[in-house]
Amino acid sequence: MEDADDVSKKDVITKLIVLSSRHMMPGDLLYKIYALRKDVIVKETCFGAEVSGKKEDVNSLIRDIRILDPYGIFIKERGFPIGDLRRCRATSGGGARPGFHQIEVEAAALPLMSRALLEYDMGVKPTTHEKPAKLDVDVFKKIIADCLHSL
Amino acid sequence: MSKILIYPTNSLVLADLVDRFGHEPLTIPQEIRKKVTSVGLDSPPLNITPEDPKIGLKYAAVEVPSGVRGRMSLIGPLLEKADAAVVVNDPEATFGCMGCARTNELVNFLIRAKKIPMLELPYPTNEDDARDFVYKIAEFLQSSEVLKHE
Amino acid sequence: MSENVKIAQLSCGTEYSGIQPEIEAAAKQVNAEMVFADVDYDDIARIEKDFGLEVASPDLKLLMARAKSIVDGKTDVDAVFVATCFRCAEAALARSEVRRYIYEKTSLPVISYSFTERTTSGTLLTRMEALTTMARRKSLLARERQTGLTAGIDSGSTTTKCVIMKDNEVIGTGWVPTTKVLDSADEAFNTALESAGIKQSELDALGTTGYGRFLIGDKLGADLVQEEVTVNSKGAVFLADKQKGDATVIDIGGMDNKAISVHDGIPGMFTLGGICAGASGRFLEITARRLGVEITKLGDLALKGNSKNIEMNSYCIVFGIQSLVNSLSTGAKPEDVAAAACYSVAEQVFEQQLQEVEVKEPVIMVGGSSLIAGLPKALEDLLHVEVHIPKYSQFIGAVGSALLVSGLVDTSKK
Repeated sequence: MEDADDVSKKDVITKLIVLSSRHMMPGDLLYKIYALRKDVIVKETCFGAEVSGKKEDVNSLIRDIRILDPYGIFIKERGFPIGDLRRCRATSGGGARPGFHQIEVEAAALPLMSRALLEYDMGVKPTTHEKPAKLDVDVFKKIIADCLHSL
Repeated sequence: MSKILIYPTNSLVLADLVDRFGHEPLTIPQEIRKKVTSVGLDSPPLNITPEDPKIGLKYAAVEVPSGVRGRMSLIGPLLEKADAAVVVNDPEATFGCMGCARTNELVNFLIRAKKIPMLELPYPTNEDDARDFVYKIAEFLQSSEVLKHE
Repeated sequence: MSENVKIAQLSCGTEYSGIQPEIEAAAKQVNAEMVFADVDYDDIARIEKDFGLEVASPDLKLLMARAKSIVDGKTDVDAVFVATCFRCAEAALARSEVRRYIYEKTSLPVISYSFTERTTSGTLLTRMEALTTMARRKSLLARERQTGLTAGIDSGSTTTKCVIMKDNEVIGTGWVPTTKVLDSADEAFNTALESAGIKQSELDALGTTGYGRFLIGDKLGADLVQEEVTVNSKGAVFLADKQKGDATVIDIGGMDNKAISVHDGIPGMFTLGGICAGASGRFLEITARRLGVEITKLGDLALKGNSKNIEMNSYCIVFGIQSLVNSLSTGAKPEDVAAAACYSVAEQVFEQQLQEVEVKEPVIMVGGSSLIAGLPKALEDLLHVEVHIPKYSQFIGAVGSALLVSGLVDTSKK
């Protein structure tokens, strides 16, 4: 049987906020989160911030945060609570864990996503680019023959 | 709000897009959270115990490596809940929960085999691709085949 | 307490198999700590080109990038543990090449291991103990001569062996089947003391090894209690007089097998197998029993036979033996059956263990099974190299213990 503590722990979620913003640095983000006066724990990270608290509190905060910079704030859930020793490199043998590299890679793609989201909201339709078809075999044969001939 | 399975299941970009367009992303951290906050389990760091690869036998036979089956014990429940899926065919990189190519092949197969509404698309490499990527995902998430599950 | 050792973990799948706590528990028991090399994404993105092996699994790329960080000296560790899931072909390639890479490019001891969800800290303990000994006691392992008057006791699963050594020579031996660990140790020890013509009180030091090493070490107040990978490799190069350069030590034991790559007398890479009884001395014991010959005669019988005359469908100690029995019932010659049994054990060791180490000549075979002549012969046929059997081969662990413990006597005197 689950005790009250167990239930409350399971009710707590953690979300990772990653910035790709021209207007906001992690410090600014933290200030804005504090200003919202929600019952959550916040930690600044190199990519943005982590927030942890009851599901409804975190989700409500996330909705408010998104409005601050709709195209510069990206959010996903995190499995581990903030500062969990099991995932902290200081307490578990050093070295970044796989999840860090995942964020490292995806953060690099966020500027492209920001722009694409903005354009989507502006109603810009993507221009479709057909993938070039494979070279016609007869044309290829001729090129090979020409190359060999010129050797 | 439909439950949308994303692949890679730990992708920031996909989780964000699904949430942004009003659905619930089914992501692996949700399963990890259940594990790491379970009282009574002490198998750090993820609290996956040798019992979990056995649970994974539901998805892959015993001759499949234990790491695949352990990962499937996390991803399997997400698959079962999914109303629709967004799959990136060639993600730039996937680590940890999605760090095993064999697991990823199996997950992709099981998503297809489930016959749920599904959008497959390539990972964007330039602005044009990114525009196309966001457009297709947004349109898919607002399409009637996805919205009918709400 | 011995100094803390940092073991770099290069792995894929340990967390998802539920065995990460087992690895860390085994390391903790030998006062070691598992550490993870810090790499960034650029290192990982480049690694296939840098290392030369293309893999589909990103976590294997991370594994290779971490290996390179160690080789490049960016991560400071004392030993390396490479582990991937059993039955993953891609991971087996990466594991094997990374193990070789670490061995060739660094002087760090390295072990590779393929695990399942059933792997426990108990299974890993002897491996971790050997790995940390190699890291921690390099000066002791560099010892090439036995000095003073020392004894070594090797409490194996099948037999208990003891030697007394004086000034680099074996002067007494004792060998008894293992029944009760302490009783058998006493008996072997007393026999060895008697044959050497000395009293226990005259000894400068005592070393113990083998399964019963802790129990016997406690009771007799041993100066060195050491797992068998380290002592067997030292004992082998000492007895075979191959202390310089490369060597490979193979010991097919009653319950498990060891294959150890040694350089200048110091073990650097090893495997310790113990899953299948079909690849152990037990298989030969049962064969001997079915043939109605003493185990000591099985080898010579095998030399007269031809393994190819017997069809064996399995390495298994149940089904493989059944094949042998069936062939006897259809008129097969006992010598062919003996040869087939030796070949079966050797072939399984060759296929499943020797791929995990660098087999470099000279190949030295030790342990009681090395005296079953058909077995080293079968190994020679498989490896296409000469297999050396040193004198006192069956006492290998005891000799290694007596040799190493004499180093501790010197140290204390200084």
